[in-house]
Amino acid sequence: MFVYEKKLQFPVRIKNTNPRLAALIISQYGGPDGELGASLRYLSQRYTMPYPELMGLLTDIGTEELGHLEIIGTIVHQLTRNLSEEQIKAGGFDAYFIDHTAGVFPQFASGTPWTAATMAVTGDTIADLTEDLAAEQKARVTYDNILRLSDDPDVNNVIRFLREREIVHFQRFGEALRKTQDKLGKKNIYAINPSFDK
Amino acid sequence: MEEKLAKNMSENDCVDCKMGSLPSCAPLAFPYVPVQGKNPQKYSSENALTRGTLFPGLDLPFMNDPNVSNPYAGTPLGELMALDFMIDELNLYLDTHSDDTEAFSMLQSAIKLFEEGKEKYVSIYGPLTISDLKNSSSYNWLMSPWPWQYEERK
Repeated sequence: MFVYEKKLQFPVRIKNTNPRLAALIISQYGGPDGELGASLRYLSQRYTMPYPELMGLLTDIGTEELGHLEIIGTIVHQLTRNLSEEQIKAGGFDAYFIDHTAGVFPQFASGTPWTAATMAVTGDTIADLTEDLAAEQKARVTYDNILRLSDDPDVNNVIRFLREREIVHFQRFGEALRKTQDKLGKKNIYAINPSFDK
Repeated sequence: MEEKLAKNMSENDCVDCKMGSLPSCAPLAFPYVPVQGKNPQKYSSENALTRGTLFPGLDLPFMNDPNVSNPYAGTPLGELMALDFMIDELNLYLDTHSDDTEAFSMLQSAIKLFEEGKEKYVSIYGPLTISDLKNSSSYNWLMSPWPWQYEERK
């Protein structure tokens, strides 16, 4: 069960609208390495995790990612409020506008709708946690690239926060792999899949 | 004795808060991230929220350009967010360090401070969760702005 809390994890207050930037940042909403995929990946992988630490970590990080999805949605919404006709026609946002007006839709920056094909649930403890390490790095790169293209301090403040969270999550998934190794013993780590073989 | 000295030396090499521990005899073909040491250095709650982590050792900003403040710093909601963030961060840390008693008592005091602060906040600005309506005189869930709405500075 989830309980909604009427506040963001990190404050978002963007003075100047910028639809072109919104059309890029939307990728962290529903893009290949965005927050929607992150939350669904962890919240789906957790069911077959074999140890309480791993079930806990995937639940807790997956929940935080839902909060990040809300933060990105808020950035996109605030960047596209009260748009003028010139802003819409100026390019960069026109294609998005045709399909969604100023609605917030989970898609890649390149326009592809969000797809579950961007994430994996293998049902294998080590494969899933290793995928999670890669996922955090890919999300970090996307935030790096947003910081390269954006010069709005109100946006970059939030992006830097979210980028740092990917680094902390990477650390925790790495520690989760260590916990897994401790339980499996050192001789042959791949003798069984602890998510399936009891 | 020599062995003990050698152990102390290798521990001293790792006192930097950005260093963790690796297994001494790790199996091949398995990825490793060093485990963060127990009782790591910590930022204040407000600084932690601004930087995106409670732990200086994990603070690795792009182009070495970190946040220096956040837009709600010093406001009642900002203080609440900072405490809640500290809870989030200690929650994840304790998932993989459940025997760190200092971190656990820090989590407990953050929760207490958050609950006290929240009670005060809710009485002035309205509910944050539906259960905060328990002391409301009317259904004021819809009165305060939603978190995504842009607010002019008052």
